[in-house]
Amino acid sequence: MEIISKILIYLIFILAAPLFIGIVNKLKARSTGRIGPSIFQAYYDLRRLMRKETIYAGSASFLSRLAPVVSFVSILFAGMILPIGFTRPLISFSGDLILFAYLLGLSRFFQILGAMDIGSSFEGMGAAREATFAVFAEPIYFFTLGSLAFIFGQTSMYGIFHSITLKDPSFLVFIVVASISVFFLMITETSRMPVDDPNTHLELTMIHEVMILDNSGQDLFLYQYSAYLKILIYATFTSNFFNPFNAQNYVVGFLVYLAVMMLLIGCLVWVETMLGRFKMKSIPQYLLFAASIGILNLLIYSFFRK
Amino acid sequence: MGNVLNILFCLSLLYLATTTRVTGYLKVFVLQSILLFFIVMLPLLSHFSVFTLLLPLTILIVKAILIPGYIRKKIIYELEIKTTIESNIQQFNFLLLTVFTMVAVFVFSNLISKDAAVDPVPFAAAFSSVVTGLYVIIFRKKLIVHVIGFLVMENGIFLLGIAVASEMPFLIELGMLLDIFVVVFLMGIAINKISSTLAADEVSVLDKLKN
Amino acid sequence: MLVLFYILILPLLAGGLFFIPGNKKLKYQMSLLVSVIHLAASYMIFTGFAQPVVSQWFRIDAFSKLFLLILSHVYFWVVLNSWHFINQPDLYSPEKSRKIFFSMMNLYLFANTLALISNHLGLYWVALESTTLTVAPLIYYYRNKESLEAMWKYLFLISVGIAFAFIGILFLALSAHGTDIFEKGLFLSDLIEGSSRLNMVWLKAGFIFIFAGLSTKAGIAPMHPGEVDALSNSPSPVAALVSASLSGTALIGIFRLMQITAGTPVHQFAQVLMITGGVVSLLVALVFMFRVTNYKRMIAYSSVEHIGLIVLGAGIGGAALIGSMLHMIYNSLNKTAMFLMAGNVHRRYKSRESGDVRGVLKNMKWTGILFMTAFLAVIAMPPFGLFFSELMIFRGLVEQERFILLGVVLFVLLFIFIGMSRQTFAILYGKSERESEGIEEVNEKFNITHFTALALLVLLAAAGLFMPDTVTGVINQIAGELNR
Repeated sequence: MEIISKILIYLIFILAAPLFIGIVNKLKARSTGRIGPSIFQAYYDLRRLMRKETIYAGSASFLSRLAPVVSFVSILFAGMILPIGFTRPLISFSGDLILFAYLLGLSRFFQILGAMDIGSSFEGMGAAREATFAVFAEPIYFFTLGSLAFIFGQTSMYGIFHSITLKDPSFLVFIVVASISVFFLMITETSRMPVDDPNTHLELTMIHEVMILDNSGQDLFLYQYSAYLKILIYATFTSNFFNPFNAQNYVVGFLVYLAVMMLLIGCLVWVETMLGRFKMKSIPQYLLFAASIGILNLLIYSFFRK
Repeated sequence: MGNVLNILFCLSLLYLATTTRVTGYLKVFVLQSILLFFIVMLPLLSHFSVFTLLLPLTILIVKAILIPGYIRKKIIYELEIKTTIESNIQQFNFLLLTVFTMVAVFVFSNLISKDAAVDPVPFAAAFSSVVTGLYVIIFRKKLIVHVIGFLVMENGIFLLGIAVASEMPFLIELGMLLDIFVVVFLMGIAINKISSTLAADEVSVLDKLKN
Repeated sequence: MLVLFYILILPLLAGGLFFIPGNKKLKYQMSLLVSVIHLAASYMIFTGFAQPVVSQWFRIDAFSKLFLLILSHVYFWVVLNSWHFINQPDLYSPEKSRKIFFSMMNLYLFANTLALISNHLGLYWVALESTTLTVAPLIYYYRNKESLEAMWKYLFLISVGIAFAFIGILFLALSAHGTDIFEKGLFLSDLIEGSSRLNMVWLKAGFIFIFAGLSTKAGIAPMHPGEVDALSNSPSPVAALVSASLSGTALIGIFRLMQITAGTPVHQFAQVLMITGGVVSLLVALVFMFRVTNYKRMIAYSSVEHIGLIVLGAGIGGAALIGSMLHMIYNSLNKTAMFLMAGNVHRRYKSRESGDVRGVLKNMKWTGILFMTAFLAVIAMPPFGLFFSELMIFRGLVEQERFILLGVVLFVLLFIFIGMSRQTFAILYGKSERESEGIEEVNEKFNITHFTALALLVLLAAAGLFMPDTVTGVINQIAGELNR
């Protein structure tokens, strides 16, 4: 019985992904004085893409057919590890936080491979940039989550997030600070402003967009859906930091989850509207800053709390 | 609670390492001074008296209000200093260096704290502040940035004093009052004159003295 | 008690009073009077005539006596020359600087004396800061770009060094934590007495930081840039004052630390650190002596070299320690003479670059001869005292069988001699192109600077040959303090 409810929840999660991005785009438009697309626009786009013809470049190999699928599937599996709200995720075992990171990494890896497979220099450039930023973004995840794991002695995502309680008031600062770190991570991994502008198509400034430039039809459908899912996954991941209430009631838990997601959407929209794109050479430094917050937390809490 | 303040202190140091504007540096210094005020106040909350409040209040007023105000008004506005700091090494490397140093300092203070009666977290935070201030002095070119680096170093020394000799307020006051005096003297006279006799206020102009 | 008044309060009063604008000649005469009284008082303290009853805040031990005498002596000669210096034509002496000159000098004397006789490291630290503050406007005497730069660098670098020294004092306080020394308020005498009760780790850390911080002020490499820049760009009386007396004040801090660590396991470490500092200073002086083109800077590096020798000797201990204390005395005499002569050269040739200066021996007879003599003294030619003190340092090295070190030191000194003499003789002899530009062919008059230099050099030679017993007595006391 539990399994069924978990699968159900996960299905709803997957289906809600385009809605999330729809809300973000709508709010972004509103905040700059435009009316903007409807919040269901992403669904319409996906439906349109499903029906289009998939064209492959002449120089593409089997990788171009493989990459979108692998990318999509690995994100699906990564989502299964994530605790949504406070429910126990589909896949949960000790050490699964590493699996989570590397499933997402696998997805990105195949995206990069697919991009390079096409043979155009555009995609190659985007792939190189994406890979560079991924390198700097990984420490953020591991230091933040690692310090949490170290402190609570749990290595499963579900376990970690459920041990966060407000026993020690200084945890509050720790959590706020860690969530800022993870927020930076989210922005980087999902290629939002100020790391990458999802609306630009100028060759000098694209990072993520350029990798999927030559894909069409079902491939593009898979890539877009992966991107939407990724955002929702990261947003949920960030919202998990604010689950100290250990609510036992489904309804309360769900409401808390919704509230935090709304807050996150607000933050995302605010950041995207207010900040311009950073200079590309200062992005590694920006990421290192987020990582060092994690390192700092690790230092202070793990050395001195045993 | 004390830990929180120290975390924020270290965070401010990290921000110091990443920002590229002079006003950013100033903001970090003000933040640190306010944090220091709270850190000093904390153990005194139990025995409250006008006397004990005197030192923290002086610190707050001088460090968070007077000195930054002076810098902002006289030096940045009047002398129209360019807002970017000029650095000798890349920003990224500077941040990396700061992070490494912080890690080293924390490890070191953890080892040391087994030997002597120091509270390891404030000690490490203070020491990293001293070293970061030193790095700012070494690796940045503008004079006003040097002064702010010196102020940050002083904040670190003050925090060190609290962590180490909290039972000897005399020693701490000594350090602070005279350092403040030095800094005011430094800035007030030297920089004003420097900007009026030199065209640009960067240290590169000060290379005339080198062989 | 009265003696304390003479050496401490009198300069303070004078310094404060002289801020009131008034007759400069009167101020000069009063300052001269104050300095004579100071000299007399420190001499009396030195010989033991006056035994001031001290409060717990002051400490008149062998170190203080010796350093105080050196300070008074140098100060006296510098003040003697100051009237001549201040009366230079206006483009050399801006009016503003002239006004505050005497008050700053007296305040400097006060701060320095306070530092030398203080029994509390905190008080010492405050006094040291104050000396920096009082010397800075003096460095800025000429009020042009270069001196502004020199003042800024000096003030800034020294302040950073002093901040480090403060960290060291904090660590020292930490090392005394939990002992009765802490309770009583961290006085030096208690620290020295009860040094075995201190926490060794923190004592070591404190020593490192205080040594690093005070090296900035004393001019020990690698923290020497502040000192060197200040010396090369300040007016010569000020440079003489700083080089001869201020480095001594910084050194006394280091020596106090050595007093504390004596008898503890940290002492070995402290000695190693001192020896390292000394050797590095010598090496730095060697390297830069060949690269320097400014003759005042050359003298500044020579200062670094000699402080290095002093610190080296103090680190070695034994006969070398005695040698280095003697060296301190002789060095102060010598540097004052050198800087005063260099000042004369600067005034005449209007340039600090050695390339612009030629034929001093011919154009400025007295300055040339005295400069040459002072140079011979500084490279340790007998019968000048520096020869004997260096010999004692070498003897100390041999006694401890540190032959490699001895070899290195001798080698370095030789090459420093070569480098320095190259420039000095170039300055003294030769024809410069500028002669045609009309440097006044006036014959140099024998003025107060020459008298001072002559007197100092004669004293240097005499003291080298016949060292009065009182001095050796005090120095032996010093050695005793460090060899517990």
